[in-house]
Parts: sequence; structure tokens; C-alpha cells
Amino acid sequence: MLSDCRDCLGIRYRTRPLHQTWKWLHQTIALHEYLISLSAGDTDACCAKLSKMAQAFMKKMATSSACIMVGLTRRASARSLVTSSKAVSAKKDRELPPEREVTKSVFMSQSTDIYTNLALEDWMYRNMDFSNHHVMMVWRNEPCVVIGRHQNPWLEANVPLLNEKEIALARRNSGGGTVYHDRGNLNITFFTPRERYDRKYNLELIKRALFREFGIPSNINERQDIVIRDKYKVSGTAAKLGRLTGYHHCTLLVNANKADLSKALAKREHGIQTKATASTPSPVANLSELDNRVTVDSLQTAVGYEYLRTPAMHLEDGGQNLISKQRGFQFVNPTDDWFPGLDALKSELVGWDWNYGRTPEFTVSRSFPVPSELLAPSKAYTATQELAINMTVEKGLISDVTLNIPKGLVESGFHGEASVITTLKGRRFTSEALNALQDAMLTRHLTRDVTKLDDREQFVAKCFDQVVNTN
Amino acid sequence: MTLQRYFIQAARQYNLRCLLLSSRQSYCELRHKYSSDASRKYTDRHEWVVVDKGVGTVGISKYAQESLGDVVFAQLPDPGTKLTAGEECGALESVKAASEIYSPVAGVVTEKNVEVENKPALINTSCYENGWLFKLKLTNPDELKELMSEEKYELFLKSDGHDKDV
Repeated sequence: MLSDCRDCLGIRYRTRPLHQTWKWLHQTIALHEYLISLSAGDTDACCAKLSKMAQAFMKKMATSSACIMVGLTRRASARSLVTSSKAVSAKKDRELPPEREVTKSVFMSQSTDIYTNLALEDWMYRNMDFSNHHVMMVWRNEPCVVIGRHQNPWLEANVPLLNEKEIALARRNSGGGTVYHDRGNLNITFFTPRERYDRKYNLELIKRALFREFGIPSNINERQDIVIRDKYKVSGTAAKLGRLTGYHHCTLLVNANKADLSKALAKREHGIQTKATASTPSPVANLSELDNRVTVDSLQTAVGYEYLRTPAMHLEDGGQNLISKQRGFQFVNPTDDWFPGLDALKSELVGWDWNYGRTPEFTVSRSFPVPSELLAPSKAYTATQELAINMTVEKGLISDVTLNIPKGLVESGFHGEASVITTLKGRRFTSEALNALQDAMLTRHLTRDVTKLDDREQFVAKCFDQVVNTN
Repeated sequence: MTLQRYFIQAARQYNLRCLLLSSRQSYCELRHKYSSDASRKYTDRHEWVVVDKGVGTVGISKYAQESLGDVVFAQLPDPGTKLTAGEECGALESVKAASEIYSPVAGVVTEKNVEVENKPALINTSCYENGWLFKLKLTNPDELKELMSEEKYELFLKSDGHDKDV
């Protein structure tokens, strides 16, 4: 957000009836820029767009269970925005307000799409100023696997199974390991200014909420996971720290499908070597196993209220009195109308280049015994005949392939090595590469009018399939 | 007589201690002088840059390294990347947290430290020497004036708010 908002003051006056909404919406850079980009003549268009946004906003508010909070929210936002513009102008060495001036909100995302929610998180990280307004966002997703920023999806997840079961795979911006989400899992993101990022505070807060509302005792272990019954993990943590803002997000297993969870994250024979961040598998439990009153909804309310009744920087119970000073629960609808620029962020997060292409460089080495019927029949081999495949994958693309073809296979008439290597280089490390490989082997036969691969070629293709699909 | 001897001894000891102390102090000062490069400049986000013939070497400060904890992955900008001052250009991952790296000055990346990519712990063990992150050809050397000198940075660290960061 720019320091001086007088630039768009004119527009603001013309859209006076929408003043309150404007204030809320104006916390976004994108909207600010949209406003100042308008010339006087465009005011009508601007009013139309703003009132559309406002209508959506009001409608949500009215239907939400949090409508009682609206009055509160408005009063608080009007007060704090005065200070917020000041804080932003001194971006470089900003003074953060004392704890008592910091207000808090709980945002509830209306989307259950992992990419939309990650985009919303990123949007808030980039565009909002949290110096005197801390936000906790709660969200949940349809089944998906979420890997850490510097991880290898082929290593962490069962990629072929994900495709088959239509479980989405997403790479997030924060560090840490791989997690599985579904509707039985609650995700919580804590946004604060970078200087006030405090993972311990957030986790303790969840721990207190679990105890206050459900009487569930839990612990925070040295890996900063929340565990119950001494060792069962119910929550995984990760964070991203930027110049101005830092966020910490964590998962909470309420009644997630544990069978799908372990299948989706199953480790298989893969032969992958990499420096990418590795996950640490832990035994997990659902909170509902301890107490069936715990549902995603009740937990989100419990943690939400705990967040609002706790002062911004230290753990203490501020009670109803403090809750009434906060901005309360707010439904947010992650659309491009509400959050201009959201779609662009989302389209990046959906793409192959981000999810797979950002994988740190890795190599795969596998070897496969050649079935005896494929070897030259007249000869006897003492050593096991193995086909060894080595691949280097950079940015998700196969950059180097070496094939070690055993004597037996060569003597029985396989000559595809060169074509294998040239066709695979530069291709994505997916089944696409395999189709290309099969096509290349077939074209070699065209002169001889063959439309099917011979047994040896089929064997080689199958081995590649196992390498790429890591099974 | 005994008293006199005692006094003499006490005086001797005091002198010795003074000598020891002062010599240690000067040794420390010398070391400080030689080990720290006078031209190292710092940002308020704890990156440093040393410029030699128009090429800057960038890393993170000891304070940043300590507050991050063990770095397990370093994502560095590729050579050829054009950066502006303050632009996000990579990330360091420590215990479950990814911290963005910002370029202290504008320039074109000429080299990244492959050793650090292979062994991120170098950032923890040697943040000012072997643990540098990338080099870049400066496009606007005037920006250096806006960065903090070693002394200013030390003062900046002492100012409040830097005891419980990260």
C-alpha cells in the first residue's frame, strides 16, 4: 500500500456511501492502484465495481453467523486504519504499535480448493499490513497433498495414486514437510508482522483451546508438532518469513481419512537421491478419536475464540472483555473481486511449473533384472543380467539419461540406446516422456513396417515406466 | 613485616592482572580489525554485501544465521537473473520455516555459491566467508550509500526488538 492515500481521496468522496467498505477494501495495494489509475470520468465505473464488491461483502456478512460482530468490526477498523496508514509510510524502520493497540480478526475462508486457499494466503502475505491488526485464517480443503517449498513430489507423495484418485498436489510457499488434507482437517494460518512472528505462541494458543473447550491435554514436541497421548501427531507446522510479514500455518487432524492419508504419502521404492528437504514421517491421530465432540466446525470456533481472547503478544486470558475489543470472525470469499490479483496468483500455483518444475535437482537410479526369455538363448550367463537406468532431473525436466544395457540383452538384439537417450532429454519427468520413448522406438521400425514394440523394447519401456512412476 | 609482604604481593598481582587484561583487550581489537572487512555493508534485513571492482558478494549476517537456526536448504538466484534492490531472490529453509532472501543492491547475478547449495550448513559455520550466497554485477553502485556500515549495523542490532526475532 502506498504511503499517502490522498491520491485516491477524490474517488473515495464520490463513493461516500461506501465509505466503510472502502476502508476495509482499501487495505489492498491492488485496489489502491486501481483507484488512483482511474480518471475523474471513470468514477461511475468505479462506483459500480465498488458497490458490487460491497454488496458481496454485505451479503456475506448478513448471512454469516458472525453478523453480530459487524458493528464491532466496523468501529475497530475505522479506528485502526488511521494508525495503519502511518505505520506503512515508515516502511523501512517502522515502529510497531504497543500490544494493547493491536486488534485481531479471525478470517474464515469460503473456499475448499487448495490452490485458491494458498493463493489467498499468499495474497494476504503480499498485500496486507499486519502491523496493528493480526489475522488468523481458518480454512479446509478437498482431499489434497501439500508439499513444502523445497521438496520433491515424486519422493514425498504417491504421484500415480494421486492422479488415479484425483487428489490434488500442491506446493506451498512455506518450508517444512508434506501433509495430507481433506475435509476432516483444519488449517490455521497466523499472520503477523515479521518482528512479531511467534510460532510458540500460536501453538500454545491451540493447545489452550483444545484444553479449554474439549479438555484434551496435548503437548508440543521438539519438532514443534502438537502431539496427543505422548506421541501421536495431530498437527504439522510450517512458516514463511518475509521482509514485512511472516506467517505460520499448521494443520489439525480432526477426522481425516487416515487410510487415504497413509496411502497418499506412502514411501515406495524410488531410488531418488536429492538435497531437497525431506519429510519426517510420524504416527498420527485424529482429535475426534479422543472426544467425538471435536468437529472441524467446533474446533475452528474454539480456536477462533481462544485467539480473540488472548492478547496479541503474550499468553493470557483476556476473557469476554478482550473478545469484545477485537474485530471478530469474518467470512472471506477468495475471489478476484474481493482480492484483486488473486486469480493470477492462483494460476501460478495450479501450474506444473510451480508444483513439479520447482523441484530441486535430483537423480534416479534403478536397476531391473532382465527376464531370461529375453536373453540370447544360445548363451549361458553367470552374472545376473540387469538393466540399469540413471536419470538426472533438473527443474522437473530430464536433463541426462544413462542406460546400462547388459550383455545378454544386446546379444539378443536390442539396439535402442541412442534413441532412448535423445528422445528423453528435455522432457518432463512424467508419463509424457514414456509415450515419446515408445513413439521413438516405433519410428525406428517404420521402414520394416512394424507397429508394435518387440518384447525387448517393451521390457525397456516398462522399466522406464517404473522409474518415472516410482513404483 | 608480614603485612608489608602481603601488600607487595597484592600490588604485584594487581599489576599482573592489569597487564593481562590490557593485552587481551588489544589482541581482541586487532583480531576484530583484521577479521572484519571494512567495506562490508549491511541491510536492515541482515544481508551483507562486499563490493570489489563492481561485483558484489552477498550473504547473511551472523545475527541472521543465528536466529534462523540450522539451514537445511538454500534456494539461490540463477546467474543472469536481474535484480533490483530489495527484490526477493531466493530463500533459506531452516526448521520448517522458509525465509526470503532479498538482494541488498540492484544488479545482474553472475554466480551463485554451489557449495552452499550442496551443503547449506556452511551458512551456519561460515556466514561471512564460505557461506556467501551469490555474486552480482552492480547496476547502481550509489545504492551502497544507503546501506549500513559495520558500526551502524552493530548499533542497529543493539537497538530494541532484536532479541527475540525469528
